[in-house]
Amino acid sequence: MFYLGMLGLAVGLAVPVSVLSAAMAQGKVGVATIEGIARQPEISSRLQTVLILTMALIESLVIYSC
Amino acid sequence: MGHPEGSLLHWLYTLHILPSWVPEVVPHSFVVIVLLVIVSYLATRNLSKIPSGLQNFMEWTVEGLENFTVDTMGPMGRRYTPFIGACFLYILAMNLYGLIPGMKAPTASLNTTVAMGLSAIVAVHYYAIRENGLKRWLVHFVGDPIWLAPLLIPLHIVGELARPLSLSLRLYGNIFGEETVIAILASFSPILLRLAGVPLLALPTQLPMLLFAIFTSFLQAIVFCMLVSIYIATTIGEHHGDHGHEGGEHEYDLLVDAVPV
Repeated sequence: MFYLGMLGLAVGLAVPVSVLSAAMAQGKVGVATIEGIARQPEISSRLQTVLILTMALIESLVIYSC
Repeated sequence: MGHPEGSLLHWLYTLHILPSWVPEVVPHSFVVIVLLVIVSYLATRNLSKIPSGLQNFMEWTVEGLENFTVDTMGPMGRRYTPFIGACFLYILAMNLYGLIPGMKAPTASLNTTVAMGLSAIVAVHYYAIRENGLKRWLVHFVGDPIWLAPLLIPLHIVGELARPLSLSLRLYGNIFGEETVIAILASFSPILLRLAGVPLLALPTQLPMLLFAIFTSFLQAIVFCMLVSIYIATTIGEHHGDHGHEGGEHEYDLLVDAVPV
């Protein structure tokens, strides 16, 4: 029981670290994409592809940590 | 979807048709394969010059897949469209199949995704050896300054081993997490009308997540195929890279150059 309690505490402390950092990284990606689209709207489709790919790569790091 | 053993094909195990060590996703993935084969057979049965109906849809799909690979890898991507397109359709069909009530997405199990990742990486190196020859493929492991080889060879090997690991774990984690969220949301559902212990009417609380899951099914299939095509392009095209950077603007358009993997 003590083991399970410590496990729950460790998971609760460790997962938010990865989630917070991934949220900050995804925010940066979103900001950069919006700036790029605002400067050059004609390449927005290419930027969206890279955006989705990068978002998925960042998200998968969170899934690894879970 | 809720209980891991409770899918609609569980009678194969209770009737002892399949031995118990076969994972339950295997019959499900066979159902997906048979569905794909039947649909492609129906679409190509009566080929006509002016396509209509199912043939029209399938031609649109194949054209879209070809545009996808050419956008990602350049003109040489046309040769690898069959493999990447097959991966895309199979993964997409498996992801969407899991959204049918009572069915289990085969990609929500590591058994399927590790097989997909391993076959993808074997195909990548098969293509690399076929295009560049065995000698060039071995030289690519050594790296540029020859005296750094003892450091770079283990680095390259670990990098190659990390690729199928990340491909399979990403697909598995996303689809499994999505199915778990759907199951949890479905368990929140308040039962509105109950007659003699049998629920008659329940609120579909998992409906928004189901709609989102359609989107993530497409997204994960696209991400898998995009990464495989980038792996193929980078493993084959290392010796093309030099004149590509001097070459001109059109090389810069490729996604391979834009995404550091």
